[in-house]
Amino acid sequence: MKLRRPVLWLLLGLIVAASLIVSMPGASYVHQDREAILAAASASHPAGTDALGRDRLVRVAAAFLLSLAGAVAASALTTAAAAGVGTLAAFGGRSLGWGLMVVCDVFLALPWMFLLMMVRSALPLTTSPARSAAITFLVLAALGWPASARAVYRGARQLTTSDWMLHTRAAGLRGPSVIRYVIPNLFPLLVPQFLISIPAFVMAEANLGALGLGVGEPLPSWGGMLFELNNSPMLLQTRWVCFPVILLVLVLLLLEGVAVEA
Amino acid sequence: MHLSRRILVCLAALSQSVPLTTCAAQAAPRLPAELVWTIGYDPKTFDPAKVDDEESETVRYLTAGVLLRFNRLTQKVEPELAQSWSLSPDGKKITFLLRPGLVFSDGSSLTARDVAWSLRRVLSPATAAPVAEEFVSPAGVTVVTPNQRTVVLHLPQRVIAIGKVFDEIAIEPAGRPSEGRVTSGPFVVAEYRRSLYVHLRRNPHYAGRDAAGHSLPWAAGIRLDIVESMEQQVRLLLRGDYDLIDSIPPDYFELLRRRAPAMVRDLGPSLNTEQLWFNQSPGSPLPAWEKAWFQNRAFRVAVSQAIHRSDLARIAYLGHATPAYSFISPANALWYDRSLSAPHTDVAAAQAGLAAAGFRLQGSVLFDAAGHPVKFSILTNSGNAARQKMATLIQQDLAALGMQVTVVTLDFPALIERLMHTQDYEACLLGLENVDPEPNAMMNIWLSSSPNHQWSPSEKTPATPWEAEIDRLMNQQAASATDGERKQDIDRVQQIVADQQPFIYLVYPNALVAFSPRLQGVQPAVLTPRLTWNVDQLRMQGAQ
Repeated sequence: MKLRRPVLWLLLGLIVAASLIVSMPGASYVHQDREAILAAASASHPAGTDALGRDRLVRVAAAFLLSLAGAVAASALTTAAAAGVGTLAAFGGRSLGWGLMVVCDVFLALPWMFLLMMVRSALPLTTSPARSAAITFLVLAALGWPASARAVYRGARQLTTSDWMLHTRAAGLRGPSVIRYVIPNLFPLLVPQFLISIPAFVMAEANLGALGLGVGEPLPSWGGMLFELNNSPMLLQTRWVCFPVILLVLVLLLLEGVAVEA
Repeated sequence: MHLSRRILVCLAALSQSVPLTTCAAQAAPRLPAELVWTIGYDPKTFDPAKVDDEESETVRYLTAGVLLRFNRLTQKVEPELAQSWSLSPDGKKITFLLRPGLVFSDGSSLTARDVAWSLRRVLSPATAAPVAEEFVSPAGVTVVTPNQRTVVLHLPQRVIAIGKVFDEIAIEPAGRPSEGRVTSGPFVVAEYRRSLYVHLRRNPHYAGRDAAGHSLPWAAGIRLDIVESMEQQVRLLLRGDYDLIDSIPPDYFELLRRRAPAMVRDLGPSLNTEQLWFNQSPGSPLPAWEKAWFQNRAFRVAVSQAIHRSDLARIAYLGHATPAYSFISPANALWYDRSLSAPHTDVAAAQAGLAAAGFRLQGSVLFDAAGHPVKFSILTNSGNAARQKMATLIQQDLAALGMQVTVVTLDFPALIERLMHTQDYEACLLGLENVDPEPNAMMNIWLSSSPNHQWSPSEKTPATPWEAEIDRLMNQQAASATDGERKQDIDRVQQIVADQQPFIYLVYPNALVAFSPRLQGVQPAVLTPRLTWNVDQLRMQGAQ
């Protein structure tokens, strides 16, 4: 609990700093300075430039904000879906519960990487980079809910034998009226599920991007920048190539820290 | 404490596995006067008649004795096992006179009977030799041997550049195919260990002699380690364990250049091209207005003029590529048209051309005459960093014209599905690897009826007068008797392509090689194999 506050402040500080960097006058994650390819850090490019002469600091800041926003949204969707499915399975009768958990198992068994590749190749080619980013996170959310739903189901099942539930039933409450009281009681389970999913989605997007299947150019993404690390000669040319990885690791640690502390 | 011990055990296992990986590539000790380099994967066959992949081709090149050799440096066909050869005026009869006293590596004599047997084996449908297709009608070819040193082939029809075909046909002992273990070339296959190496040893009966009359080859043997990683190849070349890298990517070339500048050589443009094209197929599922843009010559020319090819070469290839304007590279000395007139970078001219064609710029967005904003996607394959960089650079170049471009990378199967089957794409950026300088080898791209006529595959009749003209010229050159007449036709095709821009050529990636300064006799050539085409004359300094 001691670390929670510093972690939150650090994360908030990063968000504010990234927002300031992206909104600075003249800052552009698209502009190619073709005379400054893989330039070292300077006053005009504090973290140097990438292989196309684009400002690395602005791109990292934009990728951080984009990834965080997408992961938070996907996590919220996942948690909401998990809460709905898990609660329905726990309180909707034995056969419905069994059926929903089978669906969860089927989703968990899907080769999601191939599924994502198929979805990516089936998208209209003119899908804008922003839309492709939104679809990427949407697909991640669509595939990410079953594990959380299973956890919620187990939590909700325990609630059915709790003292307050017996009192509620004894008081004559049934069906939707009971659910109204169940959801707040599941919050201690849903909040960690929500927080744990955020770094998982950040990582999933980075992996997809590193395979060239995530957010489209010229929109910056963690994965797109990790793709540069595939090239060891470039690593030797400028150490600043490692900057996005270091920041990604820091962000993931902070997000995991928030989840653990919660 | 228990955990620490576990970690230590893991680290120990890891530290053992690193040298093991290195050893895997160097399982055989390096013998004196032996040359060592790498191939990327296991050869699929050692039967020289069945070669259909690059690494099997490498082994065949190093081991096979052939009647004629295509000199990679001069780009001319030269006699090898044949002392001389002649082609009849109608191109249907080829006569070879063999060198006297030829012997296979096992000491048996090499006669016209062995040559006829090897040729018949290649031509037989039962062998399914890929090279047989180059005779156009292999079933109609007959081989006769008037005497021990003469072989005559009768062809049912003239075949363009027939001499080069014999560079790919190994002469083996009659009735004793040996998968490279008995050859008349400089080396023979001595040992093969799957996923590790192919070991070749010197053929003591090889007929080659150097200018001073010494027996060739100089090297006692060759070890071809099977190594896919360029990183490992570069490291071991620097350490002196490998002698050469026949083709090296620009980023690793730069890395080597900084560490050992004497090891690398940029040979200038290769025969390969990188190009962008628009989908002009009438049957594609694209909206009618997009098809109209792509079928509009002014639109294609404007795109070509807006692209800064020198930036593509400098940034995507680190300066190791050459701006391209034709499907024939300047490295192709015989067929490149030096007087070609092609649209060069001129953004103002591109804007004026689009305005004249009815397009108008509103703010930063270009609209066509019917009011549709000009936006399209450029498709390329994922995993190719240079192509992805080029597509992103072109994206910014075309933004100057008001075109909104989306760059899409797809894995190769998904890409091919769109290109060859669904036709559901707008523009595509890909490359073409040319190993043959002969323009006839590109017939399948230029004939409008071909499924590989990529901007509009398998046309029943040519869709435009200029495509009909290309068909006519390509067929005409294939029937021409002299190279002079053929050159005129090929030059005209180059000019039509430059005028119409069905393919917008971007760059010729340069031929980049690396070799040990101790390796003697190297004469790098743009055509592959670039460093080992004269393998019988290569040797390490100081080796006996």
